[in-house]
Amino acid sequence: MSLLAWLHDTAFSEMMRDSTWAEPIVETIHVLTLTVFLGFVLLLDLRLLDLAMPRRRISVLFEQLNPGLFGGFAVMVVTGVLLFSADPIAFYSTLFFKLKMIMLLLAGLNVLVFNFTLGRRLADWDLDPRTPWGAKAAGIVSLVLWVGIVAAGRGIAYALPPP
Amino acid sequence: MRWLAAELLAFCRWCNGSFFGHGIRDSVWLFPFVEIFHLLALGLLGGTVVILNLSLLGFRFRGEPVAAVARDVRPWMIGSIVVMLVSGFLLFSTEAVKMYGSPAFQLKMLFLLLAILFTFTVHRKVTMLEEGHIAPLWRKLAAVVCIALWAAVALGGRAIGYVNSSGAS
Repeated sequence: MSLLAWLHDTAFSEMMRDSTWAEPIVETIHVLTLTVFLGFVLLLDLRLLDLAMPRRRISVLFEQLNPGLFGGFAVMVVTGVLLFSADPIAFYSTLFFKLKMIMLLLAGLNVLVFNFTLGRRLADWDLDPRTPWGAKAAGIVSLVLWVGIVAAGRGIAYALPPP
Repeated sequence: MRWLAAELLAFCRWCNGSFFGHGIRDSVWLFPFVEIFHLLALGLLGGTVVILNLSLLGFRFRGEPVAAVARDVRPWMIGSIVVMLVSGFLLFSTEAVKMYGSPAFQLKMLFLLLAILFTFTVHRKVTMLEEGHIAPLWRKLAAVVCIALWAAVALGGRAIGYVNSSGAS
């Protein structure tokens, strides 16, 4: 909590709070980056489920979409931290914020597990007409978590006291 | 034009008073619930638009026919547009009369119309044509216009939240 109080009292946090333009601009970037980040994530999950672009090789898709995915994620994290820093104590006090952070961790864990298991042996099943059940499980877990993360993100906006 | 404005206003009044306009407005959780669908579809629509246009610009999926990429993403693009239109209409219906007078909303609708028209006429044609049938410059221009139009729609949507600063933006 003392860390949150310290962040709250920094000049930067004050600027984010008091500036008319800082918050709308950062929030707009956060929301618009959903198109390259969330959009790519959802499409890759749907591919793992054999629903989207079924004829396209998963290794090629990863290779083509990864730069946008990682770049988009970096922008989401930076803008997210900026929004958080405007009022860290209020953010942290909401249940939705905690839920969102937990689900983000779980989504990251899901990517790690996939990369160290099926992702390692992509070449073995890349050309199969159907993805293995493990890949489908990873896709479903990711879809559920990201729907939850978007919902929790919206929840934060409603739970926070209006500025 | 005057009769059209009157008809539109009457339609907005009807939306405001309709069971869904009423229901969503009076419920605590229905508005954010519909918003979640709007945001998820935004991600998917944006993702497909970006992928298709990066391919048209030659930045991604090089050496693969753009028409194949277009065929792959089209069902998801159309599906997410449908979800956006339905969820967007429901959100609109909760304060339709207010939206009628909102410059941000009017601009968003104008760009939405242009974006849909362009995407499913000129842009569709350009993506389906084989390379060499059309100058690279026109292909790149079509990609840039498509991205710009959809970005304008998204920015208009953001502006609605800030221009009418009621509740969460």
